[in-house]
Amino acid sequence: MKKLSVEEVKHVAHLARIAISEEEIEKYQVRLGALYEMIDQIHEIKGYNDDMMITPFDEEPSLRKDEVGPMLSFEEVLLNAPRKNGKFIEVPVVVNE
Amino acid sequence: MTKYEATIGIEVHVEVKTKSKFFSSSENGYGKNANASCTVVDLGYPGTLPTINEEVINQGIRAVHLTHCKLTKKMHFDRKNYFYPDNPKNYQITQNRTPIGREGYLEIKTSLGLKKIEIEEMHLEEDTCKSAHRGTVSLLDFNRAGVPLIEIVSKPCMHTKEEAVLYLEKLRETFFYGEISDCKIEEGSMRCDANVSIAPIGSKTLGTKCEIKNIGSIHNVGIAIEKEIERQTTLLEKGETLKEETRRFDDKIGDTILMRMKETGNDYRYFPEPDIPMITLSQEQITKAISLLPMTPDERRRQYQEKGMKELSIEKILANKALSDYLNRFLSTPLNFVIAANLLLGDISSYLNKNFLSLEKTKLTDEKFLDLVKKLEVGELSNKNVKDILEEILEKDSSIETIMKENHIQNITDVSFVEEVIQKVLDQNQESVKDYHQGKDRALKYLMGQVMKEAKGTINPKIANEKLKEMLQNQ
Repeated sequence: MKKLSVEEVKHVAHLARIAISEEEIEKYQVRLGALYEMIDQIHEIKGYNDDMMITPFDEEPSLRKDEVGPMLSFEEVLLNAPRKNGKFIEVPVVVNE
Repeated sequence: MTKYEATIGIEVHVEVKTKSKFFSSSENGYGKNANASCTVVDLGYPGTLPTINEEVINQGIRAVHLTHCKLTKKMHFDRKNYFYPDNPKNYQITQNRTPIGREGYLEIKTSLGLKKIEIEEMHLEEDTCKSAHRGTVSLLDFNRAGVPLIEIVSKPCMHTKEEAVLYLEKLRETFFYGEISDCKIEEGSMRCDANVSIAPIGSKTLGTKCEIKNIGSIHNVGIAIEKEIERQTTLLEKGETLKEETRRFDDKIGDTILMRMKETGNDYRYFPEPDIPMITLSQEQITKAISLLPMTPDERRRQYQEKGMKELSIEKILANKALSDYLNRFLSTPLNFVIAANLLLGDISSYLNKNFLSLEKTKLTDEKFLDLVKKLEVGELSNKNVKDILEEILEKDSSIETIMKENHIQNITDVSFVEEVIQKVLDQNQESVKDYHQGKDRALKYLMGQVMKEAKGTINPKIANEKLKEMLQNQ
């Protein structure tokens, strides 16, 4: 069974912005490895190409006319926000500076 | 800088002008209250699906056409995955493998001649929400989330700040006149990032590049590039090695400052957007989209030049699209464009600016404008006359003839009236007539002044001046 390296697991955790413990790293080395193996199987399909991934059908998307439709009120927008500030959704600051 | 040559590449994002957003039907507008134009799609709610706004594709086709890019007729969208509060669904819908346009160019006029600035690619994508940082928190406004964007990536083919600034001006003019975007940098509908590197002159490889993000004006792009070249040169001359980094331009200090060191490369894990099937553009859609493009600025330049306008005047007109659009209404008429442009740029613009009006809000019909310019051309009206009656022309429904009559300027080219006035002035100023014959130039000016005074400014000064000289000879 494929096992990911500690570094690989840490990298994936960083991309997902998830803090994980040393024990968890060990667990995910195996679990994510299994997942990777499954993904690799896709490439074994004969005649696979990326276009199939985009759409298995020949169907064209129906394009929408450029018209404004109903929108949410700001109360509705803020309904599921963990914190709000006036009409804004408030989140902890994340700045790359 | 002597030993080094700079290489500059520029990435520009423009917000596409449409009524609704890219993948949802919420309004694409600026200046509304926070979080007032959103749907669950823009908020990235699970289970929602994007629907493509046809007009964004059409605008993309137009942008590709205007920048001489090759159009990708079969394209799809990709997910660019990243975690950041500005995009709660954790991916941005963009085009990674099949950008709508590739390998185009824009031509700029530098001090050394014409130069083609090559465009690597152009792709369609959605904007993220706007975040404002306040101490330990960020405030999110989703009005911008899902607004359609076009990103235009130039090749690293510019070498001076002059080229970069000219390219950006050309790009802005092209997209603005194509009505693809408002291109207002101050409102964020055009955003520029510059990649700058330096290498010894003649070097075949590029130096370590540094990215300067989100520069607030085209002028500042020039300054930022200049400062960046200076900074990199100084470091290299000290024998230091440059590191890839992202900097931003601080307009208060007029210099670039470090934002972050580039990480090992962005891990965006692009993959095809499964919620949007492949799009194939039909020839009919392409032809129709392009046919709706307004006249390009270069074509306007050419036509105005044919109409006898001078470069300075042409550029001044082009700096104001409303005026240029107005002039274009007369392209197939006998309108004297030189006089018309002077009038539009001078008295009419002053009036409009003073009263915060646009031409459409005035009573100036096409017929009236044609008549006004014609009368100026043949001398039935002088510039001074126009100044005097312009307000009435723009504010009243009356014809130019009626306004002239009401202001007693109907006789100005009537030669017998002009002669009558001059004769009266000459009779009353015999001393000055003598002075004139003795070669005193001032006497002519004085007499001319008296003629205009006698006629209360209602006669054509050019005709009066010629007639006065003629009649003086016979005295």
